[in-house]
Amino acid sequence: MSNENFRRELNRAFDGMAGRPSPTLSSRIRSAIAQPPAARSHYWIAAAAACVIAVLIVGVLFVSNPLRRPTSNVGGPVPSPSASASPLASPSPSPSASPTQSTAAFQCGTAYGPITQSGPAVAYISDVRTGTHPGYDRITITFSNGAPTSVEVKTQTNATFTKDPSGQAVTLRGDAGLLLTIRGADEHTSYTGSTDFKTGYTKLQEAQQVQDFEGVVQWGIGLSGNTCYRVYLLTGPDRVVIDAETGT
Amino acid sequence: MSAAVMEQPSQILARAAQGDQDSFSELIEPLLDPAYRLAAVMLADRGAAEDAVQEGSVKAWRKLGQLRGDATSLRPWFLSIVANECRMARRTRWWSVIKVADVDAQDRPQPESYSDLHRALLRLSPDDRLPLVLHFYLDLPLDEVARALRVSPSAAKSRIYRSAKRLRADLTMEEVF
Repeated sequence: MSNENFRRELNRAFDGMAGRPSPTLSSRIRSAIAQPPAARSHYWIAAAAACVIAVLIVGVLFVSNPLRRPTSNVGGPVPSPSASASPLASPSPSPSASPTQSTAAFQCGTAYGPITQSGPAVAYISDVRTGTHPGYDRITITFSNGAPTSVEVKTQTNATFTKDPSGQAVTLRGDAGLLLTIRGADEHTSYTGSTDFKTGYTKLQEAQQVQDFEGVVQWGIGLSGNTCYRVYLLTGPDRVVIDAETGT
Repeated sequence: MSAAVMEQPSQILARAAQGDQDSFSELIEPLLDPAYRLAAVMLADRGAAEDAVQEGSVKAWRKLGQLRGDATSLRPWFLSIVANECRMARRTRWWSVIKVADVDAQDRPQPESYSDLHRALLRLSPDDRLPLVLHFYLDLPLDEVARALRVSPSAAKSRIYRSAKRLRADLTMEEVF
């Protein structure tokens, strides 16, 4: 088909689709233009009705909350670690995964673990965050490639920790402490964030990495007052969560 | 020769922009036929095409100030408004009340009579048909096609060629332009 034939046949096809406009089209348009806009269009009524209906639907959904599901707690009636209360500092750890190991309530002055579990030879820490919520302050340590093989928390009546391997003593804010030891992990491969959080929270006042050496990572946590805390080992993503009870 | 004949389009446009409906009608009347043909091809529905042209004309009347007195832009500007009305008509059609067609069905060609090119044309999306209508059917110069499509001339050229290739795969650029 030559170019001219193509054009001709194309225009014939267009003609077949279009035909001729109605002879009254011109007068229709003249009268439509002559009418004031308000008389021609009632779209605003439809728009207002749509807005009212939308507000009603949102209101009904908000009140009835049909998607609300009961929170499943593993280990007793403790609040889920998916705490959603507004953190004052860095964002709180994301919710979801059920705890694979958790404490049922805050424990005071006693050690936690060591809890051992299967995992990669070295679990890479990818994120460390702190947050404050009603009733507790939180630190969350997230792993990028699986859970660490061992997690342990020890309490102490002061906020002085020993850095390893330097042996240097470091005193954090607060007058009590938790020493979190994670074995089979490192914090220098996937993590580039802060290693010292001076939070300004009422309970968890400071958290500082005190060791990242030979597959062992330790964080010292400076607390004010008692050492009541709970630990969650969560999946999706794998993370260790420590809540220090504020009592408020 | 009367003064009215001598009057320049820009003067008519200026009066229309000041609210003179007769001047606006004088400007828009010659564009109704190409606008209708564009809408009819885009929508493949003659009644809906007339509605789109009417709504586009009313919008053009209301927004005539956008032209800033540039009468040479009137045609592509008006056609782009009508094309936009066609898009809106297609979007709202799924929930609209289905109207009884006011075009006699006998006027329409039956599918059996369609050529291969006609069928291929119907398979194109309305937005793919638009550059073909502007270039081949309405025979607009490339810069007006570009303004009606609201793209650059090179982009308009590319869209025309791409759509034409969908109808006939062996077309060369030289055959299209």
